[in-house]
Amino acid sequence: MVNKHDVKRRMRQLMDEYIHEPQQPDYVLDESEMMVHIGPQHPIQPGPFLIDLKLKGETVETAKLYMGYGHKGIEKILEGLTYIQGLPVTDRICYLSALSNNEAYVSSVERLLDIEPPERSQYIRVIMQELSRIQSHLLGIGEYATDLGFVTMFLYMIREREYVLGLIEDITGARITHAFPRFGGVREDIPDGWREKAVDVLAMVNEKCEMYKELFSDDSVYKMRTVGIGTLTKEDVIKVGLTGPALRAAGIDYDVRRVYPTLTYPDIDFKVQTAKNGDIFDRVMVRIAEIQESCWIIEQALDQMKPGPLFPEGLPFGRRTPSMRVPPGEAYVPVEDPRGEMAMYIRSDGTDKPYRVKIRGPAFSLMQGLPPMLENVYIADVPAIAASMDSCNSEADR
Amino acid sequence: MAKDIRTPMQVITTTTSAIHEFLKRSPAQDIINWGRKNSLWFLTQPMGCCGVEMIATGCAHYDTDRFGIIPRCSPRQADVMVISGYVVRKYFPTLKRLYEQMPSPKWVICMGNCSISGGPFYQSYSTLQNIDEIFPVDVYIPGCPPRPEALIQGFVELQKKIKAKTDKGTMYGVR
Amino acid sequence: MDGETVLDSLKAQFPDAITQSEIDPKPPYIVCANVSRDRIVDVCSYLKDELQFDRLSGITSVDFPDANKFEVVYLIASYEHSVMVKLNADVPRDDNPSIDTVTAVWWHANWYEREVHEMMGIYFNGHPEMTVLVLGDDMMGDWPLRKDYEMYPGRVDAKYPYEDDNVSIVGEWPLEKKPWPAKRYYLE
Repeated sequence: MVNKHDVKRRMRQLMDEYIHEPQQPDYVLDESEMMVHIGPQHPIQPGPFLIDLKLKGETVETAKLYMGYGHKGIEKILEGLTYIQGLPVTDRICYLSALSNNEAYVSSVERLLDIEPPERSQYIRVIMQELSRIQSHLLGIGEYATDLGFVTMFLYMIREREYVLGLIEDITGARITHAFPRFGGVREDIPDGWREKAVDVLAMVNEKCEMYKELFSDDSVYKMRTVGIGTLTKEDVIKVGLTGPALRAAGIDYDVRRVYPTLTYPDIDFKVQTAKNGDIFDRVMVRIAEIQESCWIIEQALDQMKPGPLFPEGLPFGRRTPSMRVPPGEAYVPVEDPRGEMAMYIRSDGTDKPYRVKIRGPAFSLMQGLPPMLENVYIADVPAIAASMDSCNSEADR
Repeated sequence: MAKDIRTPMQVITTTTSAIHEFLKRSPAQDIINWGRKNSLWFLTQPMGCCGVEMIATGCAHYDTDRFGIIPRCSPRQADVMVISGYVVRKYFPTLKRLYEQMPSPKWVICMGNCSISGGPFYQSYSTLQNIDEIFPVDVYIPGCPPRPEALIQGFVELQKKIKAKTDKGTMYGVR
Repeated sequence: MDGETVLDSLKAQFPDAITQSEIDPKPPYIVCANVSRDRIVDVCSYLKDELQFDRLSGITSVDFPDANKFEVVYLIASYEHSVMVKLNADVPRDDNPSIDTVTAVWWHANWYEREVHEMMGIYFNGHPEMTVLVLGDDMMGDWPLRKDYEMYPGRVDAKYPYEDDNVSIVGEWPLEKKPWPAKRYYLE
């Protein structure tokens, strides 16, 4: 046990001596240049980060991004916890799509243990991933709409999102942080009566998405603000190394569910949504199309599912895994997060705690690609471009 | 440094503050408190996972506007600061500056396990624990993350505290 | 293009730099190889120019204080085909561990290398901007992810002191059913 007085003493020591303000670099400014900080707390930001913009008149010359205001040190924390104790902590890496983080962690550990979940568990995991994708896209587009000033769209999408969160809560029991998959299966089965409710809710979401597409495409002021702005061509996207909807909006047909298929995605028939130009308008349209595609995937999975066991036969440690020892090795299994490719590189050494966990999140490359995109852009377009990338700050900082 | 913020006391220097001190001991303070408690505007500061629940509470479905509580973006227009999430060492000077920019009377609500005692990240080299030794906290809302109904109950408890004149935001002590 | 063609052409081009290579038998069928740290830039440019590996997934590092080395791991993927390559490079654990940078090959390796530097202390020669990324300014030089960094007194790390340490006993674990955990988890 840790001595409480030692901890308090060290904390006071930290606060008195070590906390000082982060240093900003000093630029040399001309007469017509100005420095604007979109600071750690700002109405347009979903999480704290700092962008320094050097303006000349109204256009941005250079932009610089400082992150780390949400760094918790999860990789070091996970080295001191057993594998099953680390599962709720991985929930909180990206709180907007918690089930993808769980899936990446559990898949890598299952690869090390050399076990495979049975078919019913795989279908349940696919359904939960797609539900998580729907609610994350709804919130992401809603926050982007708020940054443009279109607050009504945000309130519409939150209303739909509450229904989808109700569906998730019926199975897992929590709205945001679930800790639902287990090594070898899932924790709970689908309750009775959920299937009819899901079909109704998904039909409603599908119909509302048609309405959103019309709302976005018919407005001429909105089109003036978004078409042709913040363009990322195919060469730019490859140079920055993006994955996810921001990549598919530029025209490249790359989806982790097709390239590295896991679970039962080969049996399900779905289309990868792309668009032609890489501007803001296309990124939002790709996300709305992905919501509709996810509804279709969930319907197919519900039809193809058959009753069966949730865990495979003869697990050596049973389903209780407090002091399970994992054979030494390395594992890396990528999973399609709503924002791109998510994976965890786990290195184990035969004991009951991981030796090294590296979290490869998609938001890291989205944030890395933001400063070069903001050059030669009017400052009034900066919130729209930054919000259309839909990067989750806590995932980049870990 | 830390001690001054923890125990806020009113220093009488101007006529206005003397008038405020006189009013605090008279029955007129009840009417002032009634007005203040029914329109608490909070600062949207999503720092962590609890931030998403805070945003979802302010929107449709779990509406806080029926209690008079509206999310505001700027600290100059807010009454309540909701510390929603983990406090990281790099972000702590910003948090202090936001608190100092809010005009008094101001209240602080600690939402979630991470701000109360560290939460699941208490073993980290980069987070601070026990924020209530620095800010004068009125209401603690446990949970990881707490449900939106719990956040609304937290605001209701703060309203009860203001009515009973036992809160730390209006500075009832005199130095 | 599959893993075997990639591995054969790599071994033909760099016979002395690539050692201990294998292909993972389970999906996603990663091609793993050990690279000597002097030739890392040559190998990476060959992968990008000839074999169309134009996306770097990530760069990480693992600390081995007993074997007195760091390992830098490169995960490389592609937009055209579905082969993934993993390269491990050993860096000796002395006062100034360093390795060459690959930002000339992939532009987006920039932030990954900055993070490895501030967490482990490995310097990347030729990097344009080696400053803190995720930690605060005051924590530069602490190297938090090393195994000898003490977070608080009494913390127990990955080497848990069992008597039968370093032995993997999955498959031989005695299945005694204790009463109190059985109430928490679901049984058959």
